[in-house]
Amino acid sequence: MTVSAQQLHEQLATAVVELDEDLTKQLAQQAIDLGFDAWEAVEFGLVAGMDRAGKLFDEEEYFIPELLLASDAMYAGLAILRPHIPQQNTDAEKVRVVIGVIEGDTHDIGKNLVRIMLDVGGFEVIDLGRDVPPRTFVDRAKETGARIIAIASLMTTTMDGMAEVVRILEAEKIRDRFKVIVGGAPISQGFAKKIGADGYASRAPAAVQLAKRLVSEPQAA
Amino acid sequence: MNKVTLPSLGVTLEVEPGASLLETLRHAGVDLESPCDGSGTCGKCRVKLAAHERAHVRESAHDLLSDAEREEGFVLACQASICGDLEIETDAANAEGEGLRILSEGHGLDVALEPWISKTFDPATASTRILAGNTLLGVEPGDTTGRLYGLAIDIGTTTLVAALVDLRTGCELATASSLNPQARYGQDVLSRIKLGSAPDGLAKLQGDLIAELNRHAADAAAQAGVDPRDIYEAVFSGNTTMLYLAVGTDPATLGKYPYTLTRRGAEHVGATGIGLEISPLGLVYLPPVMSAYVGADITSGILAADLPHTKGVVLFVDIGTNGEMVLGIDGKLTATSTAAGPAFEGMNITCGMRAGRGAVERVSLSDDGLAFATIGSTEPSGLCGSGLLDVVGELAAHGGVDKNGRFQHNGTAPDKPWKSQWERVDGKPVFRITGPVYLSQKDVRQVQLAKAAIRAGIELMLKENGLTPARVDRVLIAGSFGFHLRTESLINLGLLPRAFAGRVEFVGNTSRTGAQALLLNHPARGRLARVAGTVNVLELANNPAFETTFLQSLAF
Repeated sequence: MTVSAQQLHEQLATAVVELDEDLTKQLAQQAIDLGFDAWEAVEFGLVAGMDRAGKLFDEEEYFIPELLLASDAMYAGLAILRPHIPQQNTDAEKVRVVIGVIEGDTHDIGKNLVRIMLDVGGFEVIDLGRDVPPRTFVDRAKETGARIIAIASLMTTTMDGMAEVVRILEAEKIRDRFKVIVGGAPISQGFAKKIGADGYASRAPAAVQLAKRLVSEPQAA
Repeated sequence: MNKVTLPSLGVTLEVEPGASLLETLRHAGVDLESPCDGSGTCGKCRVKLAAHERAHVRESAHDLLSDAEREEGFVLACQASICGDLEIETDAANAEGEGLRILSEGHGLDVALEPWISKTFDPATASTRILAGNTLLGVEPGDTTGRLYGLAIDIGTTTLVAALVDLRTGCELATASSLNPQARYGQDVLSRIKLGSAPDGLAKLQGDLIAELNRHAADAAAQAGVDPRDIYEAVFSGNTTMLYLAVGTDPATLGKYPYTLTRRGAEHVGATGIGLEISPLGLVYLPPVMSAYVGADITSGILAADLPHTKGVVLFVDIGTNGEMVLGIDGKLTATSTAAGPAFEGMNITCGMRAGRGAVERVSLSDDGLAFATIGSTEPSGLCGSGLLDVVGELAAHGGVDKNGRFQHNGTAPDKPWKSQWERVDGKPVFRITGPVYLSQKDVRQVQLAKAAIRAGIELMLKENGLTPARVDRVLIAGSFGFHLRTESLINLGLLPRAFAGRVEFVGNTSRTGAQALLLNHPARGRLARVAGTVNVLELANNPAFETTFLQSLAF
């Protein structure tokens, strides 16, 4: 029985969206054994599957555990395929994002979901963790050459720290070098606008669309 | 002593004059609906008295009964104190005996009368000395020893309840209750912390609260025919934030990790200093707090439920926005809190509402279809917390949602008589309960987040102590909200482990009963402060197992 690359990609995507980590690993190995292009298997198999899982999450069909299980399957497959991806493919310049939970807040499950979805979406994500001071967001964004600063907050009492990040960027006259995106239960589009952030997303998959849209806008000099 | 006879149950109780009718009926095992748990806000615990007995209860002022209903002899049990013999007809079917007993005699009511404030008359100078412990607070002209009152106040994030107590007899004379006026600035604790972190916001929150408490003090005093200036001590029970706001302490540190305390309670503040209009010599006692999110309401609960002296494994849970819980193992206590969020109050729920008139408070599914009950005799207009937990619990139990919480509207069970409840709203599947009230998939997700937080807290606290759920002997559910929940729904949801079945007791507003016990018995304060100091408070934010446990707990 022979399987085409296309069929295998579809099987990989299905295995991811059906949260089957073992099958994903098996299929990833099969792709290598059959000499298929590893980068394509990632892109059209694993990432496509994760996109579908993200869509189901958006539609409230999937919930947090399913999205995390899908990402477990995806990363397990990725670990097998990555060593076989030619250098020029992995070298491609990815847009960098620094992400973290604002100072005073330690609730990070939502931030972790956004990190995974951004990673899947082709961004290079630098995770600053939780309880991150506004200053650290700016410093790390500068150091890493990030174009996006993504900030999460679950507590009303810590939201002001997000505004502080924007203030620091303005004070240093580097505001236009970065896109600032915010999210979390108490955050709204109105709040994002009020503090001068560039965008807000209510759900993790939407954050990826937002990030993609923002970096496709012409960048200031 | 007054006699209360319940012919249908064959029970006669002897109660102290001044005993609450609601509490008395509960002790007798009568399942009287009281959604606001005696706050006097819901008007549900109505009881009909014979005309000649009408004078045997004294009712606090309220406007929850119409004139016609009063004519017929209806009283609100929670607002009625007994001052004569009564014979009450109850529906025997409602009596459940054991299951509904709230605080047993030894806990809530029978504390030794030993108040902090005392008075002695000195005939030589014809004046009365007022003492706090051994300290002289002041001297009043004449003999005022016959007038010595106290207030036990439960400052809830949502509701306030004040009880006026005669400190010479221990009798509760009157109660007053209302919504917490701070709620207009924000329903949840975090939004109050945020507002209270600025000086003008703090002044506003404190000012509004104290003004309302002054109204309660005046109202209760008027009901009992006493002068509020003869109230010498108040006990404030409430969560840490409510306590800080009541005494004007900046709550900012409570709102940010690592959630440090700048005030730990187990102390007195002057009543005048915070604007409380009782005796100018009056004091306010703040019970000990254990952490930013395990506050004086929980320490009061520890006292009310007598956890330090309870043998075996007892789990005390206050189900609410902050799910606080205490685990006692032969009196050794561990406490924690979990951020359940406001779903239980009907917030962030498509058709959610508070537990008020028109709220669907009960839902059940069976072979006969869907049945529901609504608060007040009115058209259903929304879903309150207990109804929400019921409907999701029932769906989970009957295959209406799968273990991951997904609606099974395309399920293969055509024989379910409630199958026709599935509909679409804006293209998305919903479960219609009645009329305008339905449940969306997003609502199920909110319930999952809330219940998983509490379940994860329970699991981690048990694990920390090397226990499994099966080892828990008794589960005490506290709080006015908890009082309206059904054990079955809590277990169907997985908010409580299935091993808890048959071990769950609902203990009502233990913040209030604990505050009253502290008011009546001052040695209990020192003991409680020592207990609070030994409680192992778990900070779940730092627990590496939290995320995994939380994620596992999302399942049904």
